[in-house]
Amino acid sequence: MASVVRAFRPVVEQEKCIKCGNCQTYCPEGTVLLKDGETVVFDYRYCKGCGVCANECPVDAIEMAREVGG
Amino acid sequence: MSFTRMMEGNEAAAYGAMVSRADVVPAYPITPQTELISHIATLISEGKMKAEYIKVEGEHTAMAAACGASAAGARVFTATASQGMAYMEEALWMPPGMRLPIVMCMVNRAMAPLGGLRPDHNDALMQRDNGWIQLYCENSQEVLDTVIMAYKIAEDKDIYLPVAPCYDGYFVSATATVTTVPDQAEVDAFLPPYKHEMYSLLPWDYKRPARSANAAQSRYEVQTAHEKAKEVIEEVDKEFGKRFGRSYDGLLEEYACDDVDAVLMTMGSMTGTVRDKIDEMQAEGKRIGLIKLRGFRPFPSEELREMAKKYHAIAVVDRNNSYGSAGGGVVSMEAARALYTLDDRPLLLNFHVGLNGSDVTLRQVEYMADKTLEAVSKGKVDEVVDWVELHDLGEVL
Amino acid sequence: MTEKVFDEYYEKSLMQGGTTCCPGCGGPLFWRMALQALGPKTVIYGDGPCAMCAIRSIKLPHFNLHFSFVADASSGMAAAYRAKGIEGLTLVSSAGDGATGDISFGKVSAAAERNENMLQICVDNEAYMNTGIQKSGLTPFGAWTTTTPLGKEAVKKEIPLIIAQHNVPYVATASVAYPRDLIAKIEKAKDIEGFKYIHTVMPCPTGWRFNPAKSVEVVRLGVETWTWPLYEIEGGVLKLNMKPKQKPIEDYLKTQNRFRHLTEDQIKYVQENINAKRERLLANDGKRVIL
Repeated sequence: MASVVRAFRPVVEQEKCIKCGNCQTYCPEGTVLLKDGETVVFDYRYCKGCGVCANECPVDAIEMAREVGG
Repeated sequence: MSFTRMMEGNEAAAYGAMVSRADVVPAYPITPQTELISHIATLISEGKMKAEYIKVEGEHTAMAAACGASAAGARVFTATASQGMAYMEEALWMPPGMRLPIVMCMVNRAMAPLGGLRPDHNDALMQRDNGWIQLYCENSQEVLDTVIMAYKIAEDKDIYLPVAPCYDGYFVSATATVTTVPDQAEVDAFLPPYKHEMYSLLPWDYKRPARSANAAQSRYEVQTAHEKAKEVIEEVDKEFGKRFGRSYDGLLEEYACDDVDAVLMTMGSMTGTVRDKIDEMQAEGKRIGLIKLRGFRPFPSEELREMAKKYHAIAVVDRNNSYGSAGGGVVSMEAARALYTLDDRPLLLNFHVGLNGSDVTLRQVEYMADKTLEAVSKGKVDEVVDWVELHDLGEVL
Repeated sequence: MTEKVFDEYYEKSLMQGGTTCCPGCGGPLFWRMALQALGPKTVIYGDGPCAMCAIRSIKLPHFNLHFSFVADASSGMAAAYRAKGIEGLTLVSSAGDGATGDISFGKVSAAAERNENMLQICVDNEAYMNTGIQKSGLTPFGAWTTTTPLGKEAVKKEIPLIIAQHNVPYVATASVAYPRDLIAKIEKAKDIEGFKYIHTVMPCPTGWRFNPAKSVEVVRLGVETWTWPLYEIEGGVLKLNMKPKQKPIEDYLKTQNRFRHLTEDQIKYVQENINAKRERLLANDGKRVIL
């Protein structure tokens, strides 16, 4: 399987998160989960860094940080 | 119960599909195939045939539906001709490449614009590169029998290729000859139910052949299946003969070829006319016989080479033409390539006749035979490609 | 540990994460939502659009031929299941706007006329995107594509209404910005016998020229500006699923660089068309719209 190349990766500030689940609902790739309704986790194996999750978060709890490679 | 009566080729094909227990028939009408699909509709409406009949809106859709149905586990039957076949061209490449054992009758009809509704072979011959097996039938009985055999060939685990029983529009499709429809139980014993080893489109059982990255490899596999098909076609024909008492000599039939100098090679319904004239001419002392080419694809090169060793000349009768070709009609070029590797090649003549379904007359057959024997006595061919219909041969018969 | 959680999720949701679609593509997003409604007894037929990259990741039986084969092989599949007595399967037949509206338009019409038992989905990204952004009959007026560099001259073809006129049991439009609505529609459609048609807008950051992060926002605006009305036509009767307070079309157009060159007059023209359409939709809400 080819590896994913992305310019940005999503990073969440768990304390800001209101557990609405928008990020999971709108991630096109299914690589964002609101695990157990509590914690936002990302699958960095397949995330493309599109930024939809950050855009749809109503409280700006997700930031798109520069991908540093690896 | 088997029964025998006068039957047109189209009706015979419909009965062939019926006794072969075709499950799905996606079809669109086109002259001269139309009666075939309306017979099927009748058989279904009378409860004699149990099949899903998809009355599609065009031939391109007919072949696509055929692919979907075949992959999803149904035995598929369809038919077309000429313009319809051309319209489904894109779809026709799918079954051989995807290894889908569809049976489709190609009811030969000339291509527009320089052709009307009458038969010649350009439509089916246009498919010579894409992997369809093509078997040419002479009369209604052969059509019916070939449809049954077609499924057995197509669904052979070493083959999995689509098969086209081809027959001339009008001359076979709409001409009634004595035909026996075999007993259903006998056909069931000959033709087991369809179960594709490579395809299943069910959530609890899903498989499809893996797509190879190497196109050459995939194509080579289809080519290999064509090579194997030569064997399988002969075997199926023999088995059919044993069970039903009728067989067709596989891919090539020699007729009245004992002790002749030359042969005419024909394909399709004109074979019947030529048989009669050959008998007459041999009675007059003319040393000419007949080879019937039944299988155009796979082309029986090895078998033809063996036969050719016995003759000083082979005259290929092409009911088709290929503009700008390397020399003559499609069948003659295939024959030329097959014979090329012989150390001692017979003379090769090529006649174009019967284009756009004009009658192949006894007079024309005599002309072709005389020209061939002339070449034998001269030891050379004067006219490599002869368009017979452009000559005034006097009295028709 | 997180990886295991995701792997289990992909299995359960019937779709592998990480398609080869562009970042922000509406394709995988649509399928992810649709699969929640469809469930495991589903077979998918489809090819052509770049959303095809998403279909390849779906963990369900799939069959395809080529771009120009819409609703046809699936008709054959439906016939095969009937012939073999296989019941209880949902057959989803999907194609892009180019295939549905242009090259295979006749086939979709024919499948509708035959009332084939399938759920026909059009994933509409408003151009031939897979081959590098060429105009389709469903490209909106004024949109830039490589074959309409000055903006498309003609207006968008209204496929859902045309299909509805075939008297099929169910037609609907959907948007990935409204997942509850989308999922409810698919759930409803799959239990109906006959030809169901759902036309869904597919945001395309690459072809519409916008930041992928705005993907859902853009199509939400599409609904809010009434350029992408959400409605159902069931048994010939129109039902508007949403009647949002209308935002000016400029709000939508300015989010996408494919509309960058539109003049004021052209924007006015588009706005007038939308206003008229909105009036007609509201006037016919709850009424029989099929002749």
